[in-house]
Amino acid sequence: MALYEHIYLARQDVSPTQVEEMTAALTAVITEGGGKVTKNEYWGLKSLSYRIKKNRKAHYTLLNLDAPHQAIAEMERQMGINEDILRFLTIRVDELEEGPSAMMQKRDRDDDRGDRPGRPGGDRGGFDRGSRPPRRF
Amino acid sequence: MAIKDLTTATARRPFQRRRKTCPFSGPNAPKIDYKDVRLLQRYVSERGKIVPSRITAVSALKQRELAKAIKRARFIGIMPYAVQ
Repeated sequence: MALYEHIYLARQDVSPTQVEEMTAALTAVITEGGGKVTKNEYWGLKSLSYRIKKNRKAHYTLLNLDAPHQAIAEMERQMGINEDILRFLTIRVDELEEGPSAMMQKRDRDDDRGDRPGRPGGDRGGFDRGSRPPRRF
Repeated sequence: MAIKDLTTATARRPFQRRRKTCPFSGPNAPKIDYKDVRLLQRYVSERGKIVPSRITAVSALKQRELAKAIKRARFIGIMPYAVQ
């Protein structure tokens, strides 16, 4: 069956336990639709970079799904009705990554600065092209 | 006296024309992932706009993947659309 990566944002004033219940309900929809959830990752309450439906923070949950499209469509239909869910994003992927996602392993990867590829400076980029050459017609 | 030397020295070579390689095409290149904010932030200007590939020397194929990942990250709220 097709592989999907699914992320959904739950409202700020919903307790983490309720988020767990929501995830459990969604996995139930998937399993009864004939698919399965291979990974369930809860990123916690993160602050958003802009307000979504008047919320500044949201509970992030990442789900790796291996399911037929009807199960996904049914799950998305229910999420659309649910008011606690601000936004969700389902992406079809070729293969699911097993280990912790980039968001989770960020903490232990903080030290390696690595070489910084060409530092993208301001909007106009690093260098300034100077004024236009005089017109020649 | 020093200032004069400085100006004459840089006048001849205004820019160092080092051939910049695409950071994503090497053998151990980092995978472009919409969840990896730290990697994506390096290709976004202070105002939150995507920096063009002629400045960051990213290959066209990888620049398209990068742009798609940045737009997805913006949609789920982990990257800003604009920074005032």
